[in-house]
Amino acid sequence: MRETKEKRGVAFTIFVHMVLIFLAFLCLFFFYILIINSTRDHYQIQKGFSFLPGTHFMENLHNVLNDANIPVVSGIKNSLLVSVGAAVLATYFSALTAYGLYAYDFKLKKPAFIFIMLILSMPTQVSALGFVRLVEKMNMMNTLWPLFLPSIAAPAVFYFMYSYIQASLPMELVEAARMDGCSEFGTFNRIVLPIMKPAIAVQAIFTFVQTWNTYFIPALIISDNSKKTLPILIASLRSADFLKFDMGKVYMLITVAIVPIIIVYLLLSRFIVAGVTLGGVKE
Amino acid sequence: MASISFKHVVKTYDNGVTVIPDLNLDINDKEFVVLVGPSGCGKSTTLRMIAGLESISEGDLYIGDRLVNDVAPKNRDIAMVFQSYALYPHMTVYKNMSFALELKKTPKEEIDKKVHEAARILELEPYLDRKPKALSGGQRQRVALGRAMVRDPEVFLLDEPLSNLDAKLRTEMRSQIAALHKRLQTTFVYVTHDQTEAMTMGDRICVMKEGVIQQFDIPQKLYNKPDNMFVAGFIGSPQMNFLPALVEKAGEGFMLSVDSCRVPVSVAGLADYVGKEVILGIRPEDLHIEADMVEASGHALIEARIDLAEMMGSEIYLYYQFGGQKMISRIPSKYDVKEGDRVCLAPDLEKLHIFDKDTEKAIHQTLSV
Ligand SMILES: Nc1ncnc2c1ncn2[C@@H]1O[C@H](COP(=O)(O)OP(=O)(O)OP(=O)(O)O)[C@@H](O)[C@H]1O
Ligand SMILES: [Mg+2]
Repeated sequence: MRETKEKRGVAFTIFVHMVLIFLAFLCLFFFYILIINSTRDHYQIQKGFSFLPGTHFMENLHNVLNDANIPVVSGIKNSLLVSVGAAVLATYFSALTAYGLYAYDFKLKKPAFIFIMLILSMPTQVSALGFVRLVEKMNMMNTLWPLFLPSIAAPAVFYFMYSYIQASLPMELVEAARMDGCSEFGTFNRIVLPIMKPAIAVQAIFTFVQTWNTYFIPALIISDNSKKTLPILIASLRSADFLKFDMGKVYMLITVAIVPIIIVYLLLSRFIVAGVTLGGVKE
Repeated sequence: MASISFKHVVKTYDNGVTVIPDLNLDINDKEFVVLVGPSGCGKSTTLRMIAGLESISEGDLYIGDRLVNDVAPKNRDIAMVFQSYALYPHMTVYKNMSFALELKKTPKEEIDKKVHEAARILELEPYLDRKPKALSGGQRQRVALGRAMVRDPEVFLLDEPLSNLDAKLRTEMRSQIAALHKRLQTTFVYVTHDQTEAMTMGDRICVMKEGVIQQFDIPQKLYNKPDNMFVAGFIGSPQMNFLPALVEKAGEGFMLSVDSCRVPVSVAGLADYVGKEVILGIRPEDLHIEADMVEASGHALIEARIDLAEMMGSEIYLYYQFGGQKMISRIPSKYDVKEGDRVCLAPDLEKLHIFDKDTEKAIHQTLSV
């Protein structure tokens, strides 16, 4: 009896692992192709797929970095600036808003919450035209500001923060800080923010990746080559001169574009741990 | 100077419920006052109003000579130990304790000195580098105390700080807090619903019920001269026995009769009650089984069959029925009384409590019998 149960358990474990391996394969395979192809030259790639890396890694990298038409280095810099800016602004101000709505009682609390939720249901495309007009009026066309400043108001991030704060910030902690002589803003910065670290890490990753990959708004606002972010540069590769088209270079550019995301993920993911508030108050 | 004074304070919560209808309470400087009462009677609310964490709906609250109705908590110079500890989970024990001092820009060496001193007193020194989650309940409790201790506040507020410690640790912490009060020489307001804590720690005890102060007095007075049946029943364990008794005139004084038991009393205030019922209160330890007391008591005897005898060590608790009421007596354990035995118990006539049946207020002025 027991044995059969154990056997069934083993079979199930194997099955689960097979499924997971398959899914992992689906996810990682394309990364593999990407990285392999970034080490091969145009003709090798056109010949077909290979599991083994090629020998043109440095050459491709050199080509990518030194193309006068696609300023990759400044692209990375711009993308980094915009993405880090967006991640910082979105997480900080969303956490602040969530804390405000959680910890204080005021008359317009409910309407404020509903208003934010309404914005959440508005797709970017709808407001894009108005946004571009606004940016024009503010003389910020062709600058990086409009690409990350709007992250201050990030309803989705706010909602996540709000749920998190409700579940993990006992009001007594805030009250204890007040009794200790902490100002309201100080309480937020020194007590609330550290407790929200895991939520901030998650949302910082999401916002970073999202902003890193976003194409639509930057394409509307940026026209100057030196201000372009990576997605615009990658897109402009397609429309580049057909005769000089080099697949190895394209793959290399995409690889270069992905590396920072992986680094950011590795850096932030160690903050995503459960139970930060453990032990603060008795349950 | 940090006296605390409530003047006609009303607290109504946002949902329209008035928790404190009209509070008048004067706490002296350097006094240790204990607020007791059943759950939900408004003890925490009162404490939180002193702290400034809860707004005052009506009336005035003074700390020292300062009207503090609209003073923010951080400007009141009050330290509070929360019912739930409320330790900062992301900070070490040391940081938890030094936080308030850092905010006040105290010099580093001084902070270090104070924290280490507090840690030494509370026996927390080995844990200074740990986060709260790596501490036991009792250790967390002590950190919460330490955090308040290092501050030298004007007023010290404690909301059931010992409620979830085991019995031994509780006794230990009780004396530590009492010692702390002696050393700090500040005003302490201590909330509890444990009457042992209240009786042993308080200079004065304030008994509350549904937001109304029932009696505010020194422990002895509360025990020996309770103002009403609620206080009489709340203070003392096991509870005071209450017996409905008929008042008769008997010569100079009066006679209270319950069943066969006839107790002579001479309370002047009873004149208005002749022919009516009052409530006679007798504490369990004031019902004596000693032979000489029983013989001397005449008709004031309570005779009953024991339903249950609980051996408590130095004492035996006797449970029985008399006059239609459940009764408890505490007798020395040298008397060998068992379930089913018939016993005679003599009430100590000097220590009777008499209450009006309707208002439940004490009928005082006991002249000596
Ligand atoms: N924020 C609030 N809104 C509405 N009612 C409240 C609020 N806080 C407390 N109350 C009510 O006020 C009353 C007194 O609460 P309080 O916390 O002061 O009781 P307590 O004496 O401290 O009880 P316990 O011994 O259980 O801690 C309770 O009936 C409670 O339901
Ligand atoms: Mg309470």
